[in-house]
Amino acid sequence: MDISTYDYKLDNGIDLHIISTKKFKTVHFNIFFHRALNKETATFNALLPRVMKRGCQSFNDTIQIERFLEDIYGADFDADVLKKGERQIIGFRLDIVHPKYTGDDTLIDKGLSFLNDIISKPLTVDQGFNQDYVEQEKQNLKDMIEGLINDKAQYAVERCIQEMCKGEPFATYVYGSTDALAGINGDNLYEHYKDVLAGSPVDIFILGDVEPDAIRDKTEAIFNWPRGTVKKIPKEIIKKAITEPKEVIERMDVLQGKLSLGLRTDTAPDDTAYPVLMLYASILGGGPQSKLFLNVREKASLAYYAYARLEKYKGLMIISSGIEIENYKKALDIMLEQLDEMKRGAISSQELDFSKKALATSLRSIMDSPQQLTDYYLGNAILKKHSTVDQLIESINAAQMDQVVEIAQRINLDTIYFLANKAMKGVEKI
Amino acid sequence: MTVIENSAIEEIIYKYKMDNGLTVYIMPKPGYTKQFAIYATNYGSNDIKFLDGKHREPVEVPYGIAHFLEHKLFEEQGGSIFERFSALGAQANAFTNFNMTAYLFSSTNKFYDCLNLLLDFVNRPYFTDENVEKEKGIIAQEIRMYEDNPAWRVYFNLLGALYKNYPVKNDIAGTVESITGITKEQLYLCYETFYHPNNMAIFMIGDIDKEQAIDTVKQSFADKNIPKRGDVKRIYPDEPADVAQALVTQQLEVAIPMFYIGFKDSDIGMSGNKLMKKDIVTGVLLNMLIGKSSDTYQSLYEDGLINATFEKDYTGEINYGFSLMGGESQQPLKVQDRIMEAINKYKQSGLNVNDLDRVKRKMLGDFLMSLNRIDSIASVYIAAAFKDINLIDYPKVLDEVRISDVEERLRQHFDEKYCAISIIEPKK
Repeated sequence: MDISTYDYKLDNGIDLHIISTKKFKTVHFNIFFHRALNKETATFNALLPRVMKRGCQSFNDTIQIERFLEDIYGADFDADVLKKGERQIIGFRLDIVHPKYTGDDTLIDKGLSFLNDIISKPLTVDQGFNQDYVEQEKQNLKDMIEGLINDKAQYAVERCIQEMCKGEPFATYVYGSTDALAGINGDNLYEHYKDVLAGSPVDIFILGDVEPDAIRDKTEAIFNWPRGTVKKIPKEIIKKAITEPKEVIERMDVLQGKLSLGLRTDTAPDDTAYPVLMLYASILGGGPQSKLFLNVREKASLAYYAYARLEKYKGLMIISSGIEIENYKKALDIMLEQLDEMKRGAISSQELDFSKKALATSLRSIMDSPQQLTDYYLGNAILKKHSTVDQLIESINAAQMDQVVEIAQRINLDTIYFLANKAMKGVEKI
Repeated sequence: MTVIENSAIEEIIYKYKMDNGLTVYIMPKPGYTKQFAIYATNYGSNDIKFLDGKHREPVEVPYGIAHFLEHKLFEEQGGSIFERFSALGAQANAFTNFNMTAYLFSSTNKFYDCLNLLLDFVNRPYFTDENVEKEKGIIAQEIRMYEDNPAWRVYFNLLGALYKNYPVKNDIAGTVESITGITKEQLYLCYETFYHPNNMAIFMIGDIDKEQAIDTVKQSFADKNIPKRGDVKRIYPDEPADVAQALVTQQLEVAIPMFYIGFKDSDIGMSGNKLMKKDIVTGVLLNMLIGKSSDTYQSLYEDGLINATFEKDYTGEINYGFSLMGGESQQPLKVQDRIMEAINKYKQSGLNVNDLDRVKRKMLGDFLMSLNRIDSIASVYIAAAFKDINLIDYPKVLDEVRISDVEERLRQHFDEKYCAISIIEPKK
C-alpha cells in the first residue's frame, strides 16, 4: 500500500508534512518545536510541555482534558521533549482512531483544534502560567531526572555520554537538571513559552488516511498564531581529537556491572558515508549476527546483552553490556578486540551480507509503524533532505567491504565507563 | 478452515486445525511490509509439576526451566539459529512468561523460508551437557540484570505477597541457584511433554497468502510421525483466597520509592468468553476507579502523591488473576489508603453511568489502535487463544458491559483481604 508525502509551508512559516496512507486504523498528529540543546534552557524546555498539557483556556483542568480524550475514542495525547543531537525538540502528539471506524466525522477537526488550544491558548494568570501546575510539574520533573538511576543500563549509557562530552552541549540531559529547577517560576516559564512559540522552527506531521489539500487548509486555518524571527539551530561539532581514552568507574550498590564505551565516529548524518557507518555499527553490534553478540555473549558467556548503537546527529557510537563485576577487564578486552578486528578488516563476507539484510529488514519495518515513519521524516526535515527508506537501503546495499574498513579507521574510543559496586577492587589503567 | 471475521473493524482471521493437533491462525494484513509469525507452546514458568505420561507420580522440575529451554532451542548442531535467520534477513526472537513460551520472527521477504525454519528449529531440540552448561552463564547475567531492576522487583515482590503457593510467585527465569542444577535430561523431558503440536499454536500475520502458509506448515510436519495425544495434566498447588502478606518492602538504588498495590482475584477457574468478559469488566472498573479521568487519580496527582508513572492493569488467567496499580510515590501507604477510601465510597454510592459510557468508548479506541501493531497482535491473540478467547470479539463483549456488572465486580474483587502492597525504598 502506498505511502505518499506532501510538504507545505503554511502562511506563518510552519512546515507541514502530510504522510498519506490507508494502511492504519488511526490518524497521527505530531507538532515539533526545535530548540538548541544547552544547559541554560534544557530544563525550561523539559518543563514547558509538562505544564502545557495540564490545561488550556478551553479545558481548564486536567480532568477535563482526560475526559475529552476518552470521549473521542481514547485519543492518545502526550507532550514531551526529545533529544536529537544537540537539538532539544518539544513535541506534542495526538493519535486518534480514524473516523471511519467510529462514525464520528468530526474527530479530525476536534483533534486539530484541541492541539492548537493546548499550544496557543494556555492557562495563564496575569503574565504567567498557573503556579500550582508549575510547582507540581517541577516536582514531577525532579523525580524524573533523579529517577534516571532506576534503570541502570540507561543510566550507564547516559553517564558515559556525559563524561565523554563534558563541555559540549550534547552532555546535557534531555530533561535538564534539578539545580536549574529552583530558578523556574510561572512568570519566567511563560516568557520562555512566548519565545518558543514565536522563535522556534516548527514542523507539523499528519499521518493517516487523509486528503492532503483539505487537511492543509484546515491546519493553516487553525494553527494561525503569529510568529517572530525564527532562530536557526546550530550544527553539531562532530570532529574531536582524542589523545587517550578516559576511564571512569562509578560505584553503586548493584549486583551487575554495566559497561558502556563511548566512541567518536567522525561522521556526520549528512556525510555520504553515513550509510556505511550504519553498516559498520550493525556488523559490530547490531543484533544476533554481530561481533559483540557472538563474542561477548555466545562465545564467552559473559553477558545477556551486548550491543552497539549510533547517536546519529552527534556522530557518536555507544557500546553497552551488563556483566559480572569481576569480568570487567575480560569483557572490555573482548570489546576492544572486536573494534580492532573491524579496523583490521577482519570481517567476513557473510558478516557483511547478514548485516545488510538485517538493516534492510529493520528499515523496511519503519513503514509499518506510524511513530517510526514520523520519526524518519522528522530526520529528513532536520537534515533538509528528501530521501526515502528504499533509497537508504539501496545505499547500504551498495556499500563495499573496503568502505566499511575505511570507516573503521575514523572510529576512536573516547570514554570507558563502568558502573561497579563497592566490592570491586581497584583496577589497573588500560 | 474456519473463518473468524469482524467486518465492522475490517479484520479477518483464518483458523485451521491440523490432524496432529496444531492450531494454525492466519491474519492477512494487506499493505503491510513486515510479516510476522509466532509459534508458541501452552507452557510457561508456572508449569513445574506435571504428569509426563510415563510415570504415575508427578514430576517436579527446577524453577526457570521453561525459560532455559527457550534459550537452548536456539542452538543446533553446528551453529546457531540466529545465523540462519540472519541469512534470510529476518529477526528471530523468543520469550517465556508464566503460561506460554513463544518463538517468533519478523521478515520483510522470504516469509515462507523463515516459517519453515521457525517450525524446523522449534521441532528439533539439540541439547548437550556442554551447551546446557554454557547457557548458565548467560542466563545468570539475565537474572542478575532483573535483580537490579526495581521495576521488575516491585512486580515480583507483589506477586510473592499475593500468593502463598501458586508458582506465579516465582521469577520466570528462576534463580541463579535453581538453574545451576538443570540438566539436558530434564530439558528433554519438558520438551517432550509440552512441545507436542496438540499443546501448540502458530499465528501468522502480514501480507501473506493463506494457502501457501498452510501448505508450508503441513509440509514441515509431513515427514514427522507424531502420535496423537491428549492434554497434559499440570498440577498446581492449592492457593487460599486471601493474600500471603499484606506488605512487602525491599531496598534498592532508586531515587524515590516505587510501589504496586495488588488485588488477588478470588473469582477464578474460567476460560473463553466468560474470562474475556471478566477481563473487560475489570478493565472498565479500573478505569472508572483510578484511570486518568477519575477524581481519585486527579486528586492524588494534584496532591503530589502520584506522578505520570502511575499505571493500572488486570491480569486474568484461567487459574489465577490480579489487579495492580502503582508507580512512584514518596508515600505509597498513603496512596493505598486513599484508593481504599475511594473503593469504599463507590461501594456505598455506586458508580456513575456517564463514566461507564466514556470509558467504554476509550477502551474501544484503545483496542482499534492496537490493531495497527502487527507484532503485538500476534502474541496477544495467541495468548488469548490458549485460554479459548477469540480476541476479535472484544468490541462485542465490551459493548455488552452494564453498570451492574461493574458494580458487582467492584464489591467482589476490591476487598481489603485480597489486597497487598509492594514497595521498593531507596537505600539509606
